[in-house]
Amino acid sequence: MKISLNEIKKLVPKAAEVETDELVKLIGSRLVEVEGTSDWSAKYNNIYIVKVVACEKVPNTHLSVCQIDDGKDGVQVVCGAPNVREGMFAVWIAPGAIVPQTFGTDDEFEISSRKLQGHESNGMLAGLDELDLGDDHSGIVEIDPEMPGVKSGASFAEVFELNDVILDIENKSLTHRPDTFGLIGFAREVSGILGEKFNEPKFSELALDEENIDIKISDPEICARYSCAVLDFADEPRSEYLTKDAVFLAKAGMKSISPIVDVTNILMLITGQPLHAFDYDKFVKVGGADNPEVIVRTARDGEKLTLLDGKEIICDENDILITSNDVPVALAGAMGGENTAIDAQTKRIILESATFSLYHLRKTQMKHGIFSEAITRFTKGQPAGMTMPTLAEAVKALGSEPLAVVDCFPAKPEQPVISLSLSDINSLLGTSYDADTVVSTLENVGFNVEVDGTNFHVKSPFWRTDIHIKEDIIEEVGRLLGYDNIPLDFAKRPFIGAKEDPLFTLKNRVRDILSDRLAANEVLTYSFVSEKLQKTVGEDPEDSYKIVNSISPKLQCFRQSIAPSLLEKTAMNLKAGFKDFSLYEINQTTKKSLGLNSENVPEMETHLCFVALGDFYTAKAALVALFQNLGLREFALSEPEKIPDYYEKKHSATFKFGFVGEIKNKVLKSLKIDQKVAVFELNLEQLLEILPKTSQKSLKFSRFPSVSRDITLKLKPEIAFEDIQKALEAALAKNCGITKVEPVSLYQKDKKTKNLSFTLTFASEDHTLSADEISAIMKKVEKSVKSDFAAEIV
Amino acid sequence: MTIEEIKKKLKALNGEYAKIKDLPKDERKDFGAKLNEEREKLERELKAAEETAESENIEPIDITAPAALNEEIPRIKQGSKHPLMTELNRVLDIYSHMGFNIIEARQLDDEFHMFESLNFPEGHPARDGYDTFRTEEGFIPPAHTSTMQYRALTKFKPDLEAGGQIAVVIPGRVFRNEDVDATHEHTFYQCEGVFVSEDATFGQMLGVLKNLFENYYGQDLKIKTQPGYFPFTEPSCELLIEKPKSLGGKGDGWLEMLGCGMIHPNVLKTAGIDPEKYKGFAWGGGIDRLAMLKYGLNDVRYFESGKLEFLEEF
Repeated sequence: MKISLNEIKKLVPKAAEVETDELVKLIGSRLVEVEGTSDWSAKYNNIYIVKVVACEKVPNTHLSVCQIDDGKDGVQVVCGAPNVREGMFAVWIAPGAIVPQTFGTDDEFEISSRKLQGHESNGMLAGLDELDLGDDHSGIVEIDPEMPGVKSGASFAEVFELNDVILDIENKSLTHRPDTFGLIGFAREVSGILGEKFNEPKFSELALDEENIDIKISDPEICARYSCAVLDFADEPRSEYLTKDAVFLAKAGMKSISPIVDVTNILMLITGQPLHAFDYDKFVKVGGADNPEVIVRTARDGEKLTLLDGKEIICDENDILITSNDVPVALAGAMGGENTAIDAQTKRIILESATFSLYHLRKTQMKHGIFSEAITRFTKGQPAGMTMPTLAEAVKALGSEPLAVVDCFPAKPEQPVISLSLSDINSLLGTSYDADTVVSTLENVGFNVEVDGTNFHVKSPFWRTDIHIKEDIIEEVGRLLGYDNIPLDFAKRPFIGAKEDPLFTLKNRVRDILSDRLAANEVLTYSFVSEKLQKTVGEDPEDSYKIVNSISPKLQCFRQSIAPSLLEKTAMNLKAGFKDFSLYEINQTTKKSLGLNSENVPEMETHLCFVALGDFYTAKAALVALFQNLGLREFALSEPEKIPDYYEKKHSATFKFGFVGEIKNKVLKSLKIDQKVAVFELNLEQLLEILPKTSQKSLKFSRFPSVSRDITLKLKPEIAFEDIQKALEAALAKNCGITKVEPVSLYQKDKKTKNLSFTLTFASEDHTLSADEISAIMKKVEKSVKSDFAAEIV
Repeated sequence: MTIEEIKKKLKALNGEYAKIKDLPKDERKDFGAKLNEEREKLERELKAAEETAESENIEPIDITAPAALNEEIPRIKQGSKHPLMTELNRVLDIYSHMGFNIIEARQLDDEFHMFESLNFPEGHPARDGYDTFRTEEGFIPPAHTSTMQYRALTKFKPDLEAGGQIAVVIPGRVFRNEDVDATHEHTFYQCEGVFVSEDATFGQMLGVLKNLFENYYGQDLKIKTQPGYFPFTEPSCELLIEKPKSLGGKGDGWLEMLGCGMIHPNVLKTAGIDPEKYKGFAWGGGIDRLAMLKYGLNDVRYFESGKLEFLEEF
């Protein structure tokens, strides 16, 4: 939203006394974010109104050589516009000035003196687009010679009030303040911020004359008030001259269209109340009755209406329609119908000034994709109190006696009176404002305050549709006096330590281990994946929660596991030339089959997924290292019965709360990965559950030297490694106090046997082992595994 | 002198000490001191000569090279942590030290937690501002971490009613249906804060948040506010901080950091907390922006890209 500071200053005299920078700062800190300011006095600097005193065509070109009166010595300008002619007043951009259209952009264009087709040209005569006051490029701008202040050499900016600063307002944070969408409402706030009572403008009044037109509102919920006037009026084409109205509209980023449309738009910009004009005779004809009846009602499902822009829309029961004797003539608040559009033949008009349900209009806006200035205001909930004053001003501006004036206001809202105390205000804000300050702050912006000691009974003005509870009043006080003036304090806290979130702590431990110890790279990937990826890895897309308004099919399914996302990233990084890496991610997953939790929202799981280049044992080694670092030394892998489809079942295992294994060749191939990839994925919440139950093995070390001996066993291949390791550990522990069994090599020469080598390290707790003792221990160990596993000691 | 010569001299010098006892008593001290001085000098010379001799066999190296010539370049394999998680943890560390409990946000939620519990009237245009995704079932991947306010309030309500307070921060991944470009992501991280006590004020909120950013940036910072509108806080504002020195601030620029406000009485009421007795404040801000500012990143899309060339920098 664009706001002219000049207009604000006209309504708030005190604003004119404040430096622009300071004023902008105050607006930014006490009303709404100012996204930018544009200094129009710089933009229109060195631009003048001039008279074309001579104009001569350059043969065989579209150019004319013009002599212009610049109020000084006269200048020659070459002009290519078809409408340039002797005697006209035009706008001259002098050499050295910036073309306003390019002002503030990255490539500002500075006008110079140069030769065109051999003729000297100094500066340029400007079109509306070059002046950045519209998009018309059909010719140069012509100035009405009768306009006050117009003479050769007059400053264009002075005559057209362009010495202004235009604020660019972030209106998203004003969605609850429909009143500020008009200059009056905005100015009222500025007045309040400057600590001055706003001088409310006096609106014209209209006498009702309800004989010639009836209004029926089917439900006050959809339309709180509908006012209208019937006028004699013939719309004229837009003035051939540049008008101040056109400049006023341009400052707000709008275009001049025709006198009637301009009047409605200008009044909307001033008051915030949108207006709409129908062709009265068409309106009557469409309704097919002598006495027109305006009926405001919701549409019937499937009802059709062709809008002003020629588009036919199909309505539903949410849309509000304006009808003439039940025949739709406008989509309320959004756009008029083609059947009642004003044109050159229009003799009489109906001017509508109404408010509609913002909830209905919001849906209408979304459904039909209409984002006009009017509907933007309606969807904030314009106050019903503005319809008649705005209508009266419009009638006055159009200068015609109304043939009828009707005001249908079925449900007059009563503004609530909110009671609160001075201490309510100060204790919520942390301030020590006195009663007088509070009262004047509120009264400055139109609140009515009844004071009863230190209690206030506050009645909000009709334009404040957002005040419901005492906190709303407290906000007004805090904001208008400046949040930045509130003394800073600290929360009063007892010395109670924060409770640890065990899952959060575990996640950080896991990250420390994987990144800092195991040199893996943490990644974050999207929570949404494509159906295609799910199918590629063999997940059932039907088990995923699907996003109905996803950005792309690639981001449609909430992921059931993290591995597929990481496999995609693995493929990408391999393609980028990375060779030796492992990736991991900790994030939430879900699927429909997990069901809903006690809150009736999907059960979520927190997963850790790790992907490495290599075989089963690569992933297993990382998993074991992770668990050991977490103090979990005992855990069992089992043959997979149920495991996600993308694991190669023969090279995978499950454990209580996860899976570890190689990815199927078929999956790798479709992801264009040409080497072995192994993965583990586990449920961190379930890991957390078993972690506290695992106590750290008590660590024992001997003061006496330990010895190491290697042992190699030749075994049948089907004997599990783990059984041998455990047997060796048990046998050694039986014979010695401090022991350690570590695998050295796993070797197979032919399929009949395998050789497993271990290093046994052991020590006594109370003496140095003698050579005899050592060999005795080794013999006992060898004997026990030999007999239990039919092993041969190599 | 060669090493041998020095050693010979030292030996001779040691012999001189025997003469001390033959000297008159008053001369012994001076004589001894002189010998000591001489010996220390020789010993220093010896050490220097020996060091020179030893290093004669050692070739000089190029200390700027990554490896000796003909040797393999040593590769130190390092892992990396995601910068968003690192930044988030840093923020959470500060909150923890301030005494805030941490609970994490869900990544799939419902209309009640996203809007209703936060005082968004049904069908209100304010709901549009969040560009939420929806599942077929009507669940919502949350568009802000405020979805957790109701849960935080109800979870810690017993503490409050036992004479304590509610002090919670909620980190989480949030989602918005936005076209992705260098400054917009549909997936990003936020951290929410909720504080409720018997005497919480707007002034306390500003003081706490100022302190948070001063801790985070390690310097005193000016703050300012800008009015904001959130249905779940009243009054509401945006908090801006002076651009910190570590980000090249020279005391003039401002950074918009978060939205905040006094918790709306309806939000407290919905959570079963008496708004007449208790007041609270809540705030929420993005983590991605903190990381982008800190590392001078110009494209938010790196975060979820999974690209090692990016990740390995952290």
